Amino acid sequence: MAATNLTLPLDVNDPSREPRSSAARIGAISLAAFALPGLMITSAQAEAAPEDGVISLKYQTYRDSQPGLDRIRVNAPALHVFAPIAGSWSVEASTVQDNISGASPRWHTSISGASKMEDRRTAADVKLTKYFERASVGMRFAYSDEHDYRSNAVALDGRFSSADNNTTWFAGISTSRDTINPVNGIVENEHKNVSEFMVGVTQAWTKNDLLQFNLTYVRGNGYFNDPYKLVDQRPREKNQTTAMLRWNHFVESNSTTIRSSYRYYSDSFGVRAHTLSGEWVIPVAERFSITPSARYYSQRAASFYFDPVYDPVIGEPYPVGAPKFYSADTRLSSYGGITVGGKIEWRYDKNWSFDVKYERYEQRSSWRLDGGGSPGLAPFRAQFAQIGVSRRF
Amino acid sequence: MKRLSIHLLWLSTVALTLSGCAMQPPQAWEKGNLARKEMTMDADPLDQAFTQHVYFSKESASGGSGVGGGGCGCN
Repeated sequence: MAATNLTLPLDVNDPSREPRSSAARIGAISLAAFALPGLMITSAQAEAAPEDGVISLKYQTYRDSQPGLDRIRVNAPALHVFAPIAGSWSVEASTVQDNISGASPRWHTSISGASKMEDRRTAADVKLTKYFERASVGMRFAYSDEHDYRSNAVALDGRFSSADNNTTWFAGISTSRDTINPVNGIVENEHKNVSEFMVGVTQAWTKNDLLQFNLTYVRGNGYFNDPYKLVDQRPREKNQTTAMLRWNHFVESNSTTIRSSYRYYSDSFGVRAHTLSGEWVIPVAERFSITPSARYYSQRAASFYFDPVYDPVIGEPYPVGAPKFYSADTRLSSYGGITVGGKIEWRYDKNWSFDVKYERYEQRSSWRLDGGGSPGLAPFRAQFAQIGVSRRF
Repeated sequence: MKRLSIHLLWLSTVALTLSGCAMQPPQAWEKGNLARKEMTMDADPLDQAFTQHVYFSKESASGGSGVGGGGCGCN
């Protein structure tokens, strides 16, 4: 993720940004992100050596359903710590435990919707960053473990800012190795190896606009099948290209902030996807803010996805003919998805803050961008909520 | 042809939006608004991690804002 340094004046007129010390308000603040598929950790951190640390705790829940059937529930406590160390270093770490229960997906899976399942995923990551005058270099290790799936990843990234701190360039690489041992024994000790390459730039466009553009290329090989799907044979190579544009705009007239993004995604499976999202941060009192949000997602089906047709005699669906690759995984179908939600944040004082967030998500084949979604799929709905507390130190 | 039209539509939207707001990089004393927490790209790491993990498990597209997470059995 690209980052931009922004030199702060002393008299920032924002009660929510009470200075810990006058010196702490001077210097560079950088906006950096580090989003991880799988763990998906992101972070905002100082490009110049940070002076403040923060510890955050959240309890997150997820529940999805299809008409007439509740499916998966996930309860996930998560912890994140960011701390400056030794003057020009920082360490960042997080951990999450997903406690999963319920019925697995009803359609296109070898474990029927009536089956009960439970699982637990434990994930953790740690990142060490070294700061220089206008640059930083970070190394990260990530780990995720389930009873049938284990992943280890390592990443290296670097950031460099222009002399006026209005532009920051980013480059990052990573590699991961996953080991898959499904409980049905269909394969043993299968592996998936993924390498990621990313470049980005963040630009302070005006005094109220921050733009970021990232390009990512991901190269993967190994086992991409879903071992719990009845008929699922995918290529052993998957390459992905992603372009993402993010735009944050501060509205001076009412002190609100609009955050928006657009992402284009393309992969060698034939999937093409568009993602458009927006958030509107509205201060409603000195220390309260509400943030309504919306997201639209649309994807084209993978080239080997087939529309399942259930026959009362034959039963489970199979692809027509004898294709080399085939899958009826609905996540590879054509559909659109819409998320709406909102977040409330309360800054109790200069150190403590609390937040609550709730979102509703729904997928429908008819919501695909240009229509023409995959037929025969039931609408899929999910709700996710979070409650959290953070403390600076 | 339809796909090309969609891509051109997106690009046009972005280009038109940006063209209406020519780049005027701020001076050092003009960065107070940009430095607000709500203007950061990822102000809440755990929120981002959780939300993107959900989408990673339910959609084909993923990533775009960082590298190095590794995988999980959810997708």
